[in-house]
Amino acid sequence: MAESVPEVPSGEAARLAGITKHFFGVAANEDVDFDLRWGEIHALLGENGAGKSTLCSVLAGLYHPDSGEIHLDGDRVDLGSPHQALDHGVGMVYQHFRLVDRFTVAENLTLGHPETGFFTSRRSLERQVGELGRRYGLEVSPQAAVWQLSVGEQQRVEILKLLYRGVRILILDEPTAVLTPQESQNLFGTLRALADDGRAIIFVTHKLDEVMAVADRVTVLRDGRKVGAMPTSEADPATLARLMVGRDLSVTERPRTAPGEPVLSIKGVTAEGDRGLEAIRDVEIEVRASQIVGVAGVAGNGQRELAEVVTGLRRPKRGQIIMGGVDITRSTTLERIKLGLGFVPEDRMRTGMAGGLPLAANLALKAYRQPPLSKGPVLSKQAMEDRARTLEKQFDIRGVRGALPTSLLSGGNIQRAILARELSARPRVLVAAAPTRGLDVAAIQAIRQLLIEEADAGTAILMISEDLEEILDLSDEVIVLYEGQVMDRLPRDRADPDLLGMLMAGRGVDAA
Amino acid sequence: MSLSLGSRRLTVESRPVPSRLVRFLAPTFSVALAFVIGALILVATGQDPLLAYTEMIRKGFVGRLALTGTLIIATPLIFTGLAAVVSFRMKVWNIGAEGQFILGAVASSGVGLWVGDQVGGPLGIVLMLVAGALAGALFAALAALPRAYLNTDEVISTLMLNFVALGIMNYLIFSSFSFWRDPGRATFPVGKFVEDVLFLPRMVGRLHVGLIIALAFTVVIWWALRYTKWGFELMVTGDSPRAALYSGMRVDRKILSVLMVSGALAGLGGGIEVGGVLHNLDPRALSLGVGFTGIVVAALARLSPFGVIPVAILVASFSNAAPGLQVLGIPSEIVILLEGILFLCIVAGEWFLRNAIRVERTAGPAGAEAPAS
Repeated sequence: MAESVPEVPSGEAARLAGITKHFFGVAANEDVDFDLRWGEIHALLGENGAGKSTLCSVLAGLYHPDSGEIHLDGDRVDLGSPHQALDHGVGMVYQHFRLVDRFTVAENLTLGHPETGFFTSRRSLERQVGELGRRYGLEVSPQAAVWQLSVGEQQRVEILKLLYRGVRILILDEPTAVLTPQESQNLFGTLRALADDGRAIIFVTHKLDEVMAVADRVTVLRDGRKVGAMPTSEADPATLARLMVGRDLSVTERPRTAPGEPVLSIKGVTAEGDRGLEAIRDVEIEVRASQIVGVAGVAGNGQRELAEVVTGLRRPKRGQIIMGGVDITRSTTLERIKLGLGFVPEDRMRTGMAGGLPLAANLALKAYRQPPLSKGPVLSKQAMEDRARTLEKQFDIRGVRGALPTSLLSGGNIQRAILARELSARPRVLVAAAPTRGLDVAAIQAIRQLLIEEADAGTAILMISEDLEEILDLSDEVIVLYEGQVMDRLPRDRADPDLLGMLMAGRGVDAA
Repeated sequence: MSLSLGSRRLTVESRPVPSRLVRFLAPTFSVALAFVIGALILVATGQDPLLAYTEMIRKGFVGRLALTGTLIIATPLIFTGLAAVVSFRMKVWNIGAEGQFILGAVASSGVGLWVGDQVGGPLGIVLMLVAGALAGALFAALAALPRAYLNTDEVISTLMLNFVALGIMNYLIFSSFSFWRDPGRATFPVGKFVEDVLFLPRMVGRLHVGLIIALAFTVVIWWALRYTKWGFELMVTGDSPRAALYSGMRVDRKILSVLMVSGALAGLGGGIEVGGVLHNLDPRALSLGVGFTGIVVAALARLSPFGVIPVAILVASFSNAAPGLQVLGIPSEIVILLEGILFLCIVAGEWFLRNAIRVERTAGPAGAEAPAS
């Protein structure tokens, strides 16, 4: 394949040295070294929040590192903007595509292209697009409007856009997250052909199988630091899984109330995601009173859809959900709330809270329907305020200033407020999604303590979390979701980080 | 967002909570700026801005005739303004107050002609007004139903329905011998007048009790938005529809009810215009853009129900003064121009409420900064 390009360069394409990037005092990258060679596909592996996207954004000129150097093709460069990075031949395909829906493929390609004049030759453009498409398996009609294309095709347009700009270092941020397995296979073929022509590819993923299938080398990040780099030929999934998640987990054993009757049963539930693909498939979960069942998995493997199906925000395609003996599969959200279902959603600011409203209103989101907050159709502002004061004290919510928007509170206080609202309704079942994500240590401890106390008081808790430490710390039983399916269910004493890491990355126990 | 100018860099930062000072200064400045721009335009067209402005105030407010005239014009604007406030508060955009107002007038004049003097004044008037409100609500439902259940764009549907309403009214008077049209008039077609008993009682001069009804509804809307479950749900849905769904609210029904209440207010405004001023279905007097002006009124009032009252009166004073200005040789279009400039300035002022601009000195052009180490 190399004959089609006159010279295949070899050697170093890019080198990042000692990259450090902090956001509001939190390190996203800490002293990361990374090197990329021409002609290779280099996988960047890590959990959510490990710093993969930040590192890529530094190379793509989107973020300026706090310290560290970027070398491209041997020269030290300073990338002030994505534009400058593009001029150096570095381009990135973001998780959220940056295409103009109403424009055609050809128009999207010329948009922002330095050689685009007032008039452009449509024919020569279409010829080039066709050529690139055939050579790299990126076929897409230049005249089609972007909104008519499937997600996979839109991704091809993003790649074509970069190739058309002459990009030689391609960064793809979790490109397979939005693709079907078949589309992923096609993408891998494309990436291989691009690398064989001498380009350098950075492939961001958290899926071990993909690393093993497509990458020449792999660099593993964890908590913003580089924890390993090796050729894939020398790597094995178990090692990579351990590098990826194997931090020192401080697991505290705690005396537990014996679980009671099953309160929530999810039976063979299948549901579609926003894109119309099946996001969860034949999921079976049972949660008993006083039990915490942890659902582990890397984000985007069906967790959000699972939570939405249980809470009534999404209709399942098949299956049944039973709560306290009542079939709630077809019940409205309000009916479920009245039956005693509490929900701590993953998206705190827009789902869990109406961020623009004062805290008192948000604390009343569910209780406003009954006395003392309302009598008939009339609301009692005073009762609302009084209740807010009580809950603020009881749950130690700080930083509240009267009528100001709730969104001005810190993440930890917002989460305390959500828990205050949900727990004060005395739920029988609590669904908690990513309950401590992004919070500081003190808030994490407080939230976890609240969950444990709630379980001890008899509530059945379904906790969905990407944080293994949290899963292992709190759960009585662990369920691993991968691509919408339950990979395995393990009692707490059989779950360990290595095993969970493998399952989360799609590797069954026997495949290890 | 930032902009480099030589060694200075302008940085725009969002301001989550505007200070009291800014909240006072921004609109004050905006209004002042609007009058300055208006003055410049007047000077450019060879007019005396001072004369124009004093005349506007004099013809709009000074004297019983001027003041009652302004209040009569303000009354329907309060209704269409409230209609916009209610829907815009939920971030559902009813642009159809114009059409709902017109159909409210059609229905109430129809009911008025139908009951004649058979049921007596008070009951007849109530029937007329109820018919107006009902017609406005049902007409709004035509856009609200597809919005609530099929998620169609209500801006387009409510906007287009305005032309349907206008068409219906024009047909009833100009293009058919309908129940509404006065068959006795052979020359220019007009609507039949309702019986005298169905005229809204007058208070001072021609000023009718419609103004009192408008003020009462302002209080009711203010109270409903603030102190009822309905208002609470509206506020939550407006801020975050997902949070509303999450807390078990029926967002679809909310959209339906809010748009219908909005339509009812506009329709009631139409009914009051018929009962208090026109007493017949008069297409020329009912197609002056009262519904569209209501949107401007609501926006200038920053979606506050009580804010609607002074703004409606101010805007009404402009319209009231316009013919008087014409007499002095000042083109009456200046009031429409001022209304437009005022609107633009207030909207621009809103941006300053939410954003702060900082000027920073920079060492050199943004891209050439050395990485801090």
